[in-house]
Amino acid sequence: MTEQSAPPLRPLPDELTQFFWDGARDHKLMIQRCSVCGTYQHPPDVVCHACLSFDLGAGEVSGRGTVYTYSMSNQAFHPSFADKLPYCIAVVELPEQPGLKLLTNVVDLPPDGVSVGDPVEVTFQDLGDDMALPVFRVVKP
Amino acid sequence: MTKKQRVAIVGLGYSTVGRDTGLDLNTLTAQSSVAAMQDAGVKPADIDGVVVHSFPHQYVSATRTAATLGIPDLAFWSGSVDGAAYMMAALHGIAAVASGSSEMCLTLRTVHRAGAAGGASMVPGMERGVPGPFQFSMPYGAFTGAHWAGLYMQRHMALYGTKEEDFGAFAVAQRDYAIANPTESFFTDPLTIEDYLNARYVAEPLRLLDCDYPIDSSSALIFTTEERARDLRQKPVFIDSWGMGTTEHSDFSLVEDMTQSSPFNAARRLWSKTDLKPKDVGVAGLYDGFTFIAMQWLEALGFCGLGESGPFVSAGNTRPDGIIPTNTDGGACNVGRRHGANFFIEVTRQLRGTAGDRALPKRPSAGVVSNAVGSFSGCALITAD
Repeated sequence: MTEQSAPPLRPLPDELTQFFWDGARDHKLMIQRCSVCGTYQHPPDVVCHACLSFDLGAGEVSGRGTVYTYSMSNQAFHPSFADKLPYCIAVVELPEQPGLKLLTNVVDLPPDGVSVGDPVEVTFQDLGDDMALPVFRVVKP
Repeated sequence: MTKKQRVAIVGLGYSTVGRDTGLDLNTLTAQSSVAAMQDAGVKPADIDGVVVHSFPHQYVSATRTAATLGIPDLAFWSGSVDGAAYMMAALHGIAAVASGSSEMCLTLRTVHRAGAAGGASMVPGMERGVPGPFQFSMPYGAFTGAHWAGLYMQRHMALYGTKEEDFGAFAVAQRDYAIANPTESFFTDPLTIEDYLNARYVAEPLRLLDCDYPIDSSSALIFTTEERARDLRQKPVFIDSWGMGTTEHSDFSLVEDMTQSSPFNAARRLWSKTDLKPKDVGVAGLYDGFTFIAMQWLEALGFCGLGESGPFVSAGNTRPDGIIPTNTDGGACNVGRRHGANFFIEVTRQLRGTAGDRALPKRPSAGVVSNAVGSFSGCALITAD
């Protein structure tokens, strides 16, 4: 592990999001899913956007995805990112449902970088204190 | 029922502006308000509506502003913190006058440089855990608008072959306008594409020169009915049409289609309520919090085809002799962050014929202004008398 200039920022789970971070701790990518109509949505919300049901659960997804877009961040807006520059912020689209996307990082970048449309798979970055962050890496053909 | 009123812009005002003015939000707000009243030739008692749009952490109260200015009684007020910057104040004010809720409405946007970009400073206690919606962005190092801006630009480049030089061409064209606006612009040195490409990346492909320039500022415009406008000091210009729009997803990074975000919905509404067409519009003020935003508006408003804003801009079409002269005051990249109000002010000056040295070769009879992108935005069409 590289020396940190500041501890990594950790999420503060709440009633709505606890399942996501519990899943990440167990190295599972969990996405909120409506118990009535089966629609996934992310980030978690209080009601199903598709059918307005309040009966919401969560489902484990495959962890595969494609890069919808990305950018290489060259400036540390928080000290915990100072030793990570440049780092890749990406939006990854999941195959489970059209338009189902999450904001994440692509890590372990290949030498020629990442491109829009690249296949990626989830991996988990340890944050300490029994927490982990779902991030993605490029799947080599 | 009150009949629907035709709405005029009759007063324009700026406060003292600068990187650090040392002036508080209320002082800046009072300065721009007084300047707009003087421009219009109206007194506080003539005004019966005040609308302010603020950042929640830089809140400016509409009713307090009215009291500060000696306005005796408000028939309408609104304090917006949700949405498309100055455009929210303008469209609330326009709707108030159009509906008869206010006869003369002062609309305001006041911003302090410090903390305006949000980001890390905006979430108290984040070191102990990032709460709320930011728990899905900040742990990934996504803090500010620059981070989603880079994502939007990359998607457009991947889909349509837009080049970094195209964004640069927009920045360069704007700088050339800024050079002709030395009293308002913070930047009056010539800019070349090479300078642009040498500017550092903030969130590649977004460079420093793609970003607006944070300042302390307050901007004010006064809207009133056509009847009242006829008796005032300035030649009135008129609001012809307007539109707001949102997207299914309220998170800027997760909108359904980054290359066709809310401006496409807002622009569709604007054109559905007017007989004018893009070819009738001779000047544009398109929000440039980041250069790509103005370019998405060029596509959304139909000045060029979908995905074609890069070559369109690089061919010089936003310059004075181009298809749609854009941001003729220099835009927020140069005159600083007025958060959308400068576009209303500059387009009004071009239509009034008071743009001085920046007057376009052909005086336009219609202009369009816009604000924001992504999950929410708005636009308005303004016509000369």
